Amino acid sequence: MAGSMEWIMRLDGTNLPGKSLIGGKAHSIARLMALGLRVPPAFVVTTEAHAAFLATGEFPDGLVEELERAIAWLEESTGRVFGGASAPLLVSVRSGAAISMPGMMDTILNVGMNDQTQTALAAESGDAAFAQDTHRRFAQLYGNVVLKADAKGFDSASDPQVWRDMIHSATGKTLPDDPREQLLGAVTAVFESWNARRARRYREHQKIPHDLGTAVTVQAMVFGNLDERSGTGVLFSRNPSTGEDQPFGEYLGQAQGEDVVSGEFTPKPLATMAEIVPEAFNDLMSASKTLERAERDVQDIEFTVERGTLYLLQARSAKLAPQAAVRTAVEMANEGLIDRRTAICRIPSDRIRILMSPVIPEAARVAAAQLAKGEGACPGVGIGMVVSGSDEAERLGNEGIAVVLARPTTSPHDVHGMIAATAVITEEGGSTSHAAVVSRALGKPCVVGCGQGRLSALNGQTVTVDGQTGQIWAGALEVVVPDEVSDGMLAQLTEWAEQLAPIRIISADGAKGLDALDLAAIEGAEESENLPEILAGNQTAKGAAGGAIATDEGVRAAIDAGLEFIVADPRLPSLLAAVQANVEPVP
Amino acid sequence: MLYTDHLVLHGIGIKKYADAVNISEIIGIAQAEVENSIDRAEERGLVMRADGKATLGPAGRLIMQCNYSRFYDSVRKNDAFVAAYDRFEELNVDLKSLITAWQVRDIAGSTVRNDHTDADYDNKIIDRLGALHESAERILAAMASVLPRMAIYREKLLTALERAEDGAIEWVSDAKIESYHTLWFELHEDLLCMLGKEREE
Repeated sequence: MAGSMEWIMRLDGTNLPGKSLIGGKAHSIARLMALGLRVPPAFVVTTEAHAAFLATGEFPDGLVEELERAIAWLEESTGRVFGGASAPLLVSVRSGAAISMPGMMDTILNVGMNDQTQTALAAESGDAAFAQDTHRRFAQLYGNVVLKADAKGFDSASDPQVWRDMIHSATGKTLPDDPREQLLGAVTAVFESWNARRARRYREHQKIPHDLGTAVTVQAMVFGNLDERSGTGVLFSRNPSTGEDQPFGEYLGQAQGEDVVSGEFTPKPLATMAEIVPEAFNDLMSASKTLERAERDVQDIEFTVERGTLYLLQARSAKLAPQAAVRTAVEMANEGLIDRRTAICRIPSDRIRILMSPVIPEAARVAAAQLAKGEGACPGVGIGMVVSGSDEAERLGNEGIAVVLARPTTSPHDVHGMIAATAVITEEGGSTSHAAVVSRALGKPCVVGCGQGRLSALNGQTVTVDGQTGQIWAGALEVVVPDEVSDGMLAQLTEWAEQLAPIRIISADGAKGLDALDLAAIEGAEESENLPEILAGNQTAKGAAGGAIATDEGVRAAIDAGLEFIVADPRLPSLLAAVQANVEPVP
Repeated sequence: MLYTDHLVLHGIGIKKYADAVNISEIIGIAQAEVENSIDRAEERGLVMRADGKATLGPAGRLIMQCNYSRFYDSVRKNDAFVAAYDRFEELNVDLKSLITAWQVRDIAGSTVRNDHTDADYDNKIIDRLGALHESAERILAAMASVLPRMAIYREKLLTALERAEDGAIEWVSDAKIESYHTLWFELHEDLLCMLGKEREE
């Protein structure tokens, strides 16, 4: 592409402009390219071009010519032709403000489709149905999103003229046939969506200036269904369930990305990819390592293979199961990829609470009878006799009898009963109801929303409550409790957190003989928001136990109040919270 | 029967039981004129009034129904209006599923009442409602170009939506106020009557 351009930037990895100029989506594409990874070629219309459009209501001088040159560059990079009678180039058009906001036009796919490119695509892929369906998807998306047809019933079996007629009769506008006109229309529509009602209101609420502007990313589309050496898939750089340092993923040969998501096809394990397209597989493995080293985190990668060539579509930090989050954080710290403090900050203390909460072994579950089911609101297992009143729960609890408190809903009048119970179950309410919030603060296993009238029949029965799965079982089931000593990863984390925590966290056994403020005896101390005031009123205390002190907020309040120690079982969640309280949140 | 008198009966029919202010707002006729028309209808035994609110009597309902074809013949024959109505019916399917998601949700495999304690869940639905409203606005604009009073629904729906967006979530579907769903239901009723169609469930 000869000469520089004023309104458009080619994304080729040679520079990494800021998100304010090119938007979040182009920024992540540029970042992948800068790492030397292959991404479908793309360019971006900058926010400056949009700002000029907002000022005048028209494309700034030169933008149309620059789009023409940028498309020529995409054609050159891909060896395809926009609107071509063979090897047609199709592009996606995406909005990309530095901050994403509701009401903005998001994505138009398959720009460049018309009768001629459909024929060409059918010949190239040997799959006429695919070409027709790609055309249909384009007409439907462009017709509804750009031309606002509000039309349903685009049928892949219909002649494309039927779709065009539907759009025309709904809007009086014509679905453009010329790919260049399609592109200009899509860019204009993204620009105009900036002033959609919801986007304006969002900016007003969030105090985002109206003249900030959005960028528009235009990217060549790649096809995972062109031949047997094409396909699509997802890859995690480490196993997202176990954390094992072994890439984990799925591959679907001769398919487009949406086929994997749709669930209509069963993806194959990665080993099949290694057999069919070994080069692309090797590239993928090395891309996975490169990305993980650069981002210092486990990566979730979407990719497509077109005729044996690997293209990365998107990469982001992976969402991991609690166990995997612990293992990868500890191992990455041991590998020197991240420091220990970062490793600790990677693991939210609530995930550790899940991991360290008692569990019912699968064998015991299978043999047991389920009495009720609701939403698990606080993980953990509680066993006891069901009682329906909080006073009764407190009385029996004081006699040393394990009780499960069952209420239609709970209110502040039930807190003494909740404290006395081994678990709390309710008929109504969701994960932010009073029962759920207070149970989490108290660390009591809790199941909410079991259904009206479902719990009263359980009165007097002994049950096992699983606050993770939301199940309530008949009888007292076998329970296994993970701890920080027997599990190597948790023991390692505990050791690191002890070195970094600004406060000591002591188990109830270890705290015997120490003089700790007993928050269980102080009214209101089960709500963490009351703790700063309570601690301020007891300045002689060196430590504290009970109430909500072991929660994240409680730990923070204890540090702020200058306590030397708090009592918590298990210790690790509070230890992590103590280290994390000292660090600004990771962006 | 005059068009205005019929429109007042129509307004009462849609609102079921409402005062002159409410009726005047929904049909876009001045309040004094609505009051006069209700007085005349009451004298003729077409309308009953209690606590200042009007409701249709059996005779009023019959007269209202018989006169739709007379007053709305041109609307029924207007292609643009009918096409907009067809799109409304399509969108109505989306609205119904959205309101269902607002009222009940799927938790751990079982359907439970949405207790509106999960703001993220609610906000996602309100955002969906905002997207749906963009289509509704276009449909109502097309209808209003044939029958100007349809623009009233556009304004009222937007008011309800923006109240919900600002956190007063009862404006999504509370049946006791002019919530989005209440208005949508009335709009649907209005269209069915004018076009002489039956509600499909």
